[in-house]
Amino acid sequence: MSRTKDKSSLALGARGALVGGGAVWFLLKAGSGYGWRLRPPGAVAEDEFLKKCLRCGRCAHVCPYQAVQMGRLETGVALGTPLIVARKNPCRLCADLPCVKACPSGALDPELKEALKTRMGTAVIVERQECLSLKGLRCEVCYRVCPAIDKAITVENYLKAKTGRHAIFEPVVHKEHCTGCGICEQACVLERPAIVVRPLQAPSESWYEG
Amino acid sequence: MRVNCWTIGRRTVQAAVLLLLASPILGWRGFEGNLGSASLSGILLSDPLATLQVFLLTGGLALPLLIGSASVLAVYGVLGGRFFCGWICPVGLLTDLSDRLPGRRNRPSWRLGWKGLVLTLTLLFSLLLGLPVFETLSPIGIAGRALSFGPGAEVILLALIVACELLLVRRLWCRSLCPLGGFYALLGRMAPLKVGYRRERCIHCGRCRRVCFVPEVLAPPLEEGATLVQSGECSRCGACIGTCPVSALALHFSKP
Repeated sequence: MSRTKDKSSLALGARGALVGGGAVWFLLKAGSGYGWRLRPPGAVAEDEFLKKCLRCGRCAHVCPYQAVQMGRLETGVALGTPLIVARKNPCRLCADLPCVKACPSGALDPELKEALKTRMGTAVIVERQECLSLKGLRCEVCYRVCPAIDKAITVENYLKAKTGRHAIFEPVVHKEHCTGCGICEQACVLERPAIVVRPLQAPSESWYEG
Repeated sequence: MRVNCWTIGRRTVQAAVLLLLASPILGWRGFEGNLGSASLSGILLSDPLATLQVFLLTGGLALPLLIGSASVLAVYGVLGGRFFCGWICPVGLLTDLSDRLPGRRNRPSWRLGWKGLVLTLTLLFSLLLGLPVFETLSPIGIAGRALSFGPGAEVILLALIVACELLLVRRLWCRSLCPLGGFYALLGRMAPLKVGYRRERCIHCGRCRRVCFVPEVLAPPLEEGATLVQSGECSRCGACIGTCPVSALALHFSKP
């Protein structure tokens, strides 16, 4: 092969690498998607999870409720990683944790043996003004469906200050017992759920910088 | 036209892989996962390149991952790394079939060596971004997940690859870009299973080069008289063997 041909193909290669590298950087770094997501039980911290997860989908294959979905293109860097959309299909906290057992890479921590010890996130009542129980109705659906009933969600009753006669039965979330399964979020009778799953801690700074 | 029995056998294996990947839709329980990592009725299998990325990123490896990639490396250590490309990979099947569509015949092809550069860049970017870059963007993973869980918007990447190959560069992805292909090509040289060549039978009709997607590997035997296809780029797909009218080519187990 002639020297000039060698040189020109080297320049082409360098340009190709530049374009390809730029495209990857744009897709994965500048792209959106560095946010909190509800992961399957046992998921390690998000930045660690993105490193360990093989995007193989075995957790989704074994989920008997098909609650584990695979991230699509619109999820940015979470493309191909497992996530749970609680409002549509929450985690049912299977006693034998098949998804954790299926994970080959430890992205779902195999040390997790008990479903109720899962900490995927925590339920939060985000719409206090909409919550039927807080309006004075006997709804409490979130409390009844909670797999950790009377631990993760309790009902506290007190007199309505305005009237002094009517009782309020307020569902209260106890973060330290909440698994973050999202069953309450799915069950909330409102069109936009008043109770939703949120991260246990705010994600680290680096996830906001992008 | 003569039927190429190697190609028929290969298509059968490729179709079986597609069926395995579609097992959640078909309701099978024996197979879970995709070509990144899977369990086939209890046998653990893991892509060694994915394992390498996880190791680079986390500095440690879970035992199932180690066992899985060891068994895959053992199999391809015998059959030749790019056996995966020829017989297993769904993207290989897609681009192989689309290459047979009628259309422009005189597309150029790019160098095989670029895969090494892409592989290096992939590992470098994985470290820089804190993500297993190839596992995230891999068209092989995208194809596998599309078969298991239904296609999403990301299958556009597969369409892009096919369009590039049909319009611009012949077999661009598998020949010059796929980092997994580059990784397996490194493994292929050591493998004992190789295509052997008998010069005394060869009539130099050139059919083998026409069916091969990496015809460069046939140059040493055809032009310099080597008795084996030594290159790690050979996928052991057998297309050349099936098409040879005088049986000058055959698969051999040779000493490395």
